[in-house]
Amino acid sequence: MSYSDVPAKGPSGDIVGKPRRNATETRFYLTNEFGLIALIVVFALGFKFTTEGFFSAFNLFTLGRIAAVNIMIGLAMMVVVMTGGLNLAVGAIGVCAAMTCGYLIEVVGLPWPLAILSAVALGALLGFINGWTSVRTGLHSFIITLATMSIFFGVMIFLTRAESYRALPPVFAAFGRIKLLGFFSPLLLVSLMAALVLGYLYNLTAVGREMLAAGAKPEAAEMSGINVGRIFIYCHMLSGALAACAALMLVARNGAAIPSMAGQLGQDWLLIAFLGPVLGGTLLAGGKASVLGTCLGAFLVTMLTSGLLLLQLGDFWIQSFLGLLLLAAVLMDKTRRTFLARRNMA
Amino acid sequence: MSNYLRRVLAIGLLSAIGVGSAFAAGDSKIALVPGGPHPYFAAWEQAGKDAAKDFGLAAADYKVPQKWELSQQNQLLESLLTQGYNGFLIFPGDPVGSVSTVDELVSNGAPVIGGAGCFKDPSSATFCLGTDTGNSAYIGTKELLKTLTGTKKRIAHFTGFLVDPNTQLRIDAVKKAAEEEGATVVQVIADIDAPEPAEEKINAYLAAHANDVDGIITTAWVPAVVASNAVRKIGDKRIKMVAIDHDQVVLKAIKDGFVNGTMLQNPYGQGYIGTFVLDKLRSGCAVKTDAPFKKNALTDKFIDSGTVYVAADKIDTYVDAMRDTTKKLFETFQATYLTCK
Amino acid sequence: MNGSFANAVRSDWFGPLLVTIVAVAIVGGFNPSFLSPLNIQVLLLAIAVNGLIAFSQMLIIAIGQMNLSVGAIGGLCAIVFAGMMDAWHVPASLAALTALSLGVICGVINGFLIARTGISAFVITLASLSVYKGINLGITHAQPFYDISDGVKSIGQGAIFGIIPWLMLPTMAVGLALWFMLNRQPIGRFILAVGGNQHAAELSGISIANTVVIAHALSGFLAALAGLLLVARLQMGQPTIGDDWLILSFAAPVIGGAVLAGGHVSVPATLLGG
Repeated sequence: MSYSDVPAKGPSGDIVGKPRRNATETRFYLTNEFGLIALIVVFALGFKFTTEGFFSAFNLFTLGRIAAVNIMIGLAMMVVVMTGGLNLAVGAIGVCAAMTCGYLIEVVGLPWPLAILSAVALGALLGFINGWTSVRTGLHSFIITLATMSIFFGVMIFLTRAESYRALPPVFAAFGRIKLLGFFSPLLLVSLMAALVLGYLYNLTAVGREMLAAGAKPEAAEMSGINVGRIFIYCHMLSGALAACAALMLVARNGAAIPSMAGQLGQDWLLIAFLGPVLGGTLLAGGKASVLGTCLGAFLVTMLTSGLLLLQLGDFWIQSFLGLLLLAAVLMDKTRRTFLARRNMA
Repeated sequence: MSNYLRRVLAIGLLSAIGVGSAFAAGDSKIALVPGGPHPYFAAWEQAGKDAAKDFGLAAADYKVPQKWELSQQNQLLESLLTQGYNGFLIFPGDPVGSVSTVDELVSNGAPVIGGAGCFKDPSSATFCLGTDTGNSAYIGTKELLKTLTGTKKRIAHFTGFLVDPNTQLRIDAVKKAAEEEGATVVQVIADIDAPEPAEEKINAYLAAHANDVDGIITTAWVPAVVASNAVRKIGDKRIKMVAIDHDQVVLKAIKDGFVNGTMLQNPYGQGYIGTFVLDKLRSGCAVKTDAPFKKNALTDKFIDSGTVYVAADKIDTYVDAMRDTTKKLFETFQATYLTCK
Repeated sequence: MNGSFANAVRSDWFGPLLVTIVAVAIVGGFNPSFLSPLNIQVLLLAIAVNGLIAFSQMLIIAIGQMNLSVGAIGGLCAIVFAGMMDAWHVPASLAALTALSLGVICGVINGFLIARTGISAFVITLASLSVYKGINLGITHAQPFYDISDGVKSIGQGAIFGIIPWLMLPTMAVGLALWFMLNRQPIGRFILAVGGNQHAAELSGISIANTVVIAHALSGFLAALAGLLLVARLQMGQPTIGDDWLILSFAAPVIGGAVLAGGHVSVPATLLGG
């Protein structure tokens, strides 16, 4: 995994991107994705032998359901992080979208597919506000989204008076509870679909490639005729829309649109939002996006939490163990890569 | 210190109720799950242990989500169900958002009771055993106003998170009590359930407006603690104050005369009786169709676990006050609310 | 790589000015008599702690990294400080010394893991955040420690001339020391050099590993100090101390003109931001 916050810089201070390898000659075993898959398999086997019920249908179902939301949140962050920006307002945007969906269904009486579309559109609109403000003022999106997370959340609390919307059509809650083949949550399919769309976007469309280029070297991209500002705004809109999707999935899971679903100011989403992309190899400084890596990273974290809860190691110590496991996971992966790199050289 | 209190509470309760441990260990595995780590729920741990021993359960364990996050609580509950727990006393992470998890637990054969906080109707929870927060705030305000002798009765109200539905109930109850006594609520400060912002906001307010306030009512744990320290700092005992709960800072401030009294809740009773009922529900008992439930803003199936005003004269024996409440509730609980085969 | 962002905030005055105006507007709106002397004391108290939290993050931003575990270290040291006084009746000074050392140790662990493994600070400190916070919960079971010494309590509530809180002193001292260190001392230059251009720094003979470890050790120390001040201010050892520092710790230095990619920080601007 490429775990550096800041990519190596040339003497001029520019990014030279990932050193040494390029995509075509990268050995598959050296990729983030392979490392994460290996870790997932190792830990899953570990939990199978140390816990009861890790592979039970119910646990697999709940694991998939939680992972689905975490993956979506991770993707929402990834699409902005790859431009070197941040979106601290993912949680706030998500809650706003979810509450809008609830309002449109319960108070306005809109049919639910329309309400969902409007909610995703609102997510994109709020993302546009972030992106536009950030591009226009030239301030880093960290500062902009820090401000907008309070503003969005505050307006939402003011308008809803912190009341929940729960008179949703039964199809919502049912979607959160259906078990395909007895253990598979359809929410996971939604996340995988979003991941496929993003993969398509980055690999096969001009806009996607422009996003990657603008993220890696904004100045160079600008010179080669890309409207970097507009591309950044697109990325923020995409982030907002994905955050809205994650929130709608939570609505399905909880059977209601509730203002507290992402915590105060939507802060509860932040750590998981960063964990997926960073574990997955997305550089915080921008220029590289790994859709599959983000999915696997978010899944790994969800799985570790689930396994630890089943292990029942001293109740109040769980968080410490989660941290240690995370450290162990990245160190194991580091060892693997060092080992392989040495073998390659020999 | 708190361990000691819990032990006293437990021993007192055991002797008071006098239940033997003659039952064979049943197959009930009860989990007592708060919304997140908080001192209020500490009494649940001992209550669960005591109930497991007294009624011969396989287990009654206190399981705490690591953070106050709905998703963390949900994940913990799902995991506990996988681990074979089959009865749940839950403080809802969100009164509405937790309902679907409750439905899921119940549909897997595990009864659920709301403890200390309620699920919003309709839900599959059997009932809700908690403090009547509005009533507690009302009584507390009345007690506060009794101590105000001047002609001007200006009170400030410090309370918890606005996203907590109880907060609005408390604000309304305080206002109602104040209006009945011809007093005015000059300031409501809410959204201060974390120590640092509470400290900042309350101190900032009192620094500027201490002279415009005659009494303080607090209706959430953290504001009560912070305000107790604040009136101690002011030190002239002119401002009267009624707190809530049994944090040591509050109790000591009452002993030293800076705070007039506190509204005790009954977490031990919630844990003990909740565990007892969950076991009964699993062994063929059902809630009576005509059970005398109360109503509150969230549910029509509410049972008041009791609230008592304690002032300086009874502060040393406040544990007795809690024990009496639990004992009274427990003695008649089965006959009042349950029908058993 | 700093792009348009750096250009806009390169003028240090811009950020702090903005935030000070916004803060005055917000607090002024909440409380019209904002600028009364009594309020200044309350405000200074808040700045005392927030400033340290911001400094703690600023040092790590200076080397081009992030420290997500600032709050977890501060919280852990705070409850160790209060817990030693409560459970073992250790004198306050000794408890404070232990807690501050613990902060340094936590920071060194962070720095060592980052420097030795080359894994990004974000991932390491995210994991250690979990470990430190977990130890905190494991020790306290979410129960506060109440029995802290009266000396600490009176320092927490006292003020010089009735206006400047005692708690402001450590923050001022730290601010001066940091300014001196970053501008006048070799280690300060090393820190900024590593953050500014790691490659060039290495070529000019600076040990990057040592600089990273030192920066993290200092960051841990400052986080611990902030935790201690909060114990004094809150009059008890709350296990929740540090939970909401994350955003705060980034906001002040970044608004104060620090560049997230490292190599450029400003002590006075960070304090204004805090």
